[in-house]
This record gives sequence, C-alpha cells and structure tokens, in this order.
Amino acid sequence: MTTKALGAVIAAMAVLVGGLAAQAQGPIRIGASLSLTGTYAKLGKNQHEGYKLCEKDLNAKGGLLGRKVEFVVYDDQSTPATAVRLYEKLITEDMVDGVMGPYSSPVTEASANVTEKYKKVMVAPLAATTSIFKRPPDKKRYYVFMVISPAEVYLEGLIDMAAKRGLKTVAVVNEDTLFSKAAAAGAVDIVKKKGMQVVFQEAYPKGNTDFAALLTKVKSLNPDVIAAATYFDDAVALTRQMRELDVSPKAYGVTVGGDLPEFYDTLKANAEYVYGATQWEHVLPYPGNNEFFGAYKKEFGHEPSYHSAAGYAGCLIYAEAVKRAGTLDADRVREQLLKLEMRTVFGDYKVDQDGFQVAHRMVTFQWQEGKKVVVWPDEMAPAKPRFPTPPWNQR
Amino acid sequence: MNVFVTPAMLAQVVVSGILSGALYAMVALGLALIFGVMRIINVAHGPLLMLGAYTTYFLYSALGLNPYLTVPVSMLVLFAVGVLLERTLVFRVVDAPELSSLLLTFGISIALVNLAQLLFTSDLRSVEYLTGSWVVGPVALSKPRLVAFVFAGALTGLAFLFLRRTKLGKAIRATSQSREVAMVCGIDVQRIHLITFGLAAALAAAGGALIAVIVAIQPEMGQIWTFKSFLVIVLGGAGNYPGALLGGILLGLIEQVASLFLTTQLSEVVAYVLLVVVLLVRPTGLLGGRET
Repeated sequence: MTTKALGAVIAAMAVLVGGLAAQAQGPIRIGASLSLTGTYAKLGKNQHEGYKLCEKDLNAKGGLLGRKVEFVVYDDQSTPATAVRLYEKLITEDMVDGVMGPYSSPVTEASANVTEKYKKVMVAPLAATTSIFKRPPDKKRYYVFMVISPAEVYLEGLIDMAAKRGLKTVAVVNEDTLFSKAAAAGAVDIVKKKGMQVVFQEAYPKGNTDFAALLTKVKSLNPDVIAAATYFDDAVALTRQMRELDVSPKAYGVTVGGDLPEFYDTLKANAEYVYGATQWEHVLPYPGNNEFFGAYKKEFGHEPSYHSAAGYAGCLIYAEAVKRAGTLDADRVREQLLKLEMRTVFGDYKVDQDGFQVAHRMVTFQWQEGKKVVVWPDEMAPAKPRFPTPPWNQR
Repeated sequence: MNVFVTPAMLAQVVVSGILSGALYAMVALGLALIFGVMRIINVAHGPLLMLGAYTTYFLYSALGLNPYLTVPVSMLVLFAVGVLLERTLVFRVVDAPELSSLLLTFGISIALVNLAQLLFTSDLRSVEYLTGSWVVGPVALSKPRLVAFVFAGALTGLAFLFLRRTKLGKAIRATSQSREVAMVCGIDVQRIHLITFGLAAALAAAGGALIAVIVAIQPEMGQIWTFKSFLVIVLGGAGNYPGALLGGILLGLIEQVASLFLTTQLSEVVAYVLLVVVLLVRPTGLLGGRET
C-alpha cells in the first residue's frame, strides 16, 4: 500500500466516522418565533410555510452538514415582547443550533437584541426597516442579516417611470409610522435625485381613513404624480376619495396594501392604473421560481405571497452560508453571509458590512384589467405601463 | 407646504366635516346613553361597532342583501348582543367603583376583538357597493358618506324622538337623572339598563354597517371609534344627549378644517388639545353635564 492510498483510506474513514458522529448528533435545530396569531397572523403563517418548505427541500437533498434540519417554531402573537421571551427560551432552554428571523420590522428589531446578546446569527427575511441594520458604531449589530429591500426604495419604480416620461411635480403622502415614513423619505430623496420637484408632503396618523382635507390641498396643487406610502386601509380610502374629489394625477402609486388581491376586490375598476410595489411576484424570472410556486401550492393548498418566498429564500441563504462555512459557528457563518452572493427564487442576495441588503430589487406593477402587471424595472417587465393615467371622468 | 386655501376648498372640507360628524354623533350617542344611564364608560363600544360591520358584510356577501337594508338587521343583532352582555356581565359593575367597569368593558373589548380574529380571521373584507360622488358647484359629495350622513341623521333623530316622546324613552331619561327617584316612581331600573345597553350597541352597529361601505372591515377597526366617541361626549357633555350631536359635528369639523390649514397629523392634536381645554374650562362639556 502506498502512502497515497493509505492517506485516502484514512480520509475515507475520517469522513465515515465524521458522518456517523453527525448522525449521532441528531438534527440541526433552527428556532424561530413567528406571528401565528394576532394582527400579523396571515403573513406570519405564510412565512412559516416558507420555512417549512425550505426544511423539506433541504432534507430531501440530504440535510445540512450531513444532518437533518428541524425547525422549532413558537407563536409570538404578533407582539415584540413575546418574541423576545421566545428567542431567549429558544436559545437558552431549547439550545437550538441556529435561529431564523420573525415576521415584521418591529418584532425583528426587538428580537435582534436577544440574538446579538447570545451571538446567534439571524437571517431576518421579513424586516424592511433600515434602522435595524444601520446603527451608530457603538450600537452596531454583527449577527443580523437582511433579505428584502428596504422601505426607502418602495416608490423608486413609480418615480423613475414618471421621470422618464417627463413628469415634473410630485406629491408625497404617508402614514406616520416607521415603515411608511421611511418609504416617504426615500421617495423624496429619489424625486430630488431625478431632478423633479416635491410640491406637497404630508403625513397622516395611523388609522386615518378620511382624506378629504388632504386631497383638497393636493388637488389645488395639481401634481403630476402622487406617491403614497400606505398600508391597506389608507390605500383603499385614499384611492376612493381621489375619485370622489376628482383628483387626477398622471401617475399614482401606493406601497403596501396595493399588492393584495383584496385591493382590487375592494376597489374594482377604481384600482385600475394604480401602481404598487412588491418584493416578489411568482412570474418573475428567478431560478426555480416556477417550481417553488407549484410546490408551495401543492403543499399548502394556496398561493405563496412574498412573505412565503422571502421566508423560503431566507432559510436557503442561511443554509448556504452554513454549508460554505462547514460549521454552525456563528462567527464563521457570519463571515460567509457577508461574502455570499446568491440568487434564489426571491431574487438576489448580497449584503454590505452591516448586513444591510444591497442586491435585492423591488418591482413595480400596475393594476391592468384586474391583474397585477409588472412594469418596472424594464429588464424584468413583461409589459408596458398604461400611461398616463386618464382623468376619472374619462374612464 | 404652501397651499393657498380658497373659499371653495374651505367649503369642501366643511361639508366633508359635517358628513363625518353626523356619523360620529350617532355612534357617540350610544356611548353617551350608557354613560348617562349606567355611569359606565363602555370601552367595548368600538368593538361592538366592528361586529355591526361584520354583520353587514356577511349579509351582503352571503345573501347579496343591499348593505343599506342590512342596517336595521345589524342593529337588531347587536341589540341582542348588547342585551346579552348586560345580562351576563355588565350589570355586575353598575354600582361598582368606576375602575371595575372600565376594567370589565376593557376586557370585553379585548375578548371581542380576539374572538373576531379567531372566527373571521384578520383578512380584510369590504362591501363594495357605492363609490364616487355627486358634484354640487365647487363641492364634491361622496356618495357613501352622504348616504351614511342621511342614515345617521335619521337614526339620531329617531333616537331623540324615542327618548323625548315615548314612555320608555322618558323612563330612560328619568333613570339617567336619578336612579333612586326613578325606582321610587316604579321604573324597573334593571330593565332600563338592559334596554339602554342594547340600544347603545344597536347605534354602534348602525355606525359599523354604514362605515362598512366606506372603509375596509377587520377585527381592529373598532378601537379608534371608542376614542372618537369618548372625545365627542366629553366635548358635548357626558350624559347630555344633544351634546353628543354637537360634539360629533364639532369633531368632524375640527378634524377636516385643522387638516386643511395645518396637517392631517396635527388635526388629532388639535382635537385632543381641545379635549383638555374643555375639561379644564368646562369640565361638564360644552352643553353641560347631565340633562336636567
């Protein structure tokens, strides 16, 4: 026997023994707190299903580091305080091997304090708030990673399309909450960058559904574009009252809420021509997107939302980093997550040194004959926007 | 930003303010009734409104009923719910310290919202029936809001007539003025409490049914109406029924006019600052406290 062959045998045995040891270690347990009841129940459940499908797919391919993957999930009832308690429990009592992020920015913001304290890497697939990741140097977070695009770019598509078509004036309105404020601030920056002018900007309180006065003011200024950083209720009320008060900009877009099927069900024809922004659509040409859509529908009996896709992709991103690191050690997985460039069903992943997402792109759609048609960015858009939006009395 | 306010714009927001004010008045009248008769601040008033909205939604989506025809049905259903709540829970805290009744109705409020989340899920529902507006000169009148205004005006009027003219209504007012004297006069105060609570829930339900056509329906839609109703009855005078009407219209106007001259965000500040001022200067409300 040559030394080379001997080396090979030893190596093979080492792998075998290592493999056995891995088997003996049992599955890799990944803990997460999710909003399974309460305000965010519906969205949190979709994210949970994304995790479940990821777990299934990983195990079908032989698991991770030779071990099976198993999610340990608790319900935080959509409250940050409960999530904090649950991550404490997951890490200190259940001794999970890794964690994944919860649903929503506020819950992630609270939970990140716990995962940082215990130096656990947390890929947070459903947190869009910049301030969770971009922090002053003395409060920097090292172990939390962003997957979706930040709030600031939600209205980029609308403004970019308007600028390219020679529109000049923009009214920016927003709900006065963390996410919408950031989306509006981002919109104002983009408007200025494109050489357009913000002629009106106003925030309204959460829960406001009467926009008569606000729209009366907007109407008197007759802006080319109305960019609204909204949730669902306000997006619906705003659109209805725009029609009632005959406010007719050449382009009008909303942020969150506009992408829900309920938006069209509620507004019917009044939703036509409205632009919206979304993190993900199943028609986008990302690798495996179609297969993911089919498998998800088959597994859970309903279509995935972007929350499902982000959850699924976030889990795969974490798994990929673990695979590349060859270990669950937080610092080494972190290193890989900082370096990783990956394209999933959800689109591109790449973060900067703060774990802040820089590669994923938002898409802008327009409601056309009851369908969300992706119209921006050009390279991903199968159709053109119907531009300009006709005045209400000419529809 | 610099917006030049024209008279036409002012006219528009004044009209919008009066339209929403009538709804506030009707919903708040329910809260005022309960406070006047039972001395209870019903924190669950908004969630009762939410249940009214759901009743309308289900009648509209399952049976295809015209949503405006569902208003009396929603009112009847919630009258029953109100009676049930009073008979099983609320009657226990009528003479208890104020904190007990606050705690109880707060509990009922949380229970109702969570029950709705369990039963109806937090999916957003809507009744898409009437949209658009009628344009009169420079002013656009929102169709669903105008219809809601007419309904609210009529129902509030009926409620006042009932309180003024009918024997039962007089008994309710008598109980509100002095429970002991009412009892001495042979009024069944327990029964009056029961009816009052049912009536208040029915008024909230009417509000819910009318709002269902205007905004999206979801389990947490009601809470904001508890606050608004509370604001209305403090402005108008707690326990003073015509005060609710004044307070409601006033709140609608303040919200809209302040939004026009300041910002939508600041209009709430104006409304609540006014609340504090009224409490300091005229603690019994603009029209005074209990009806005499």
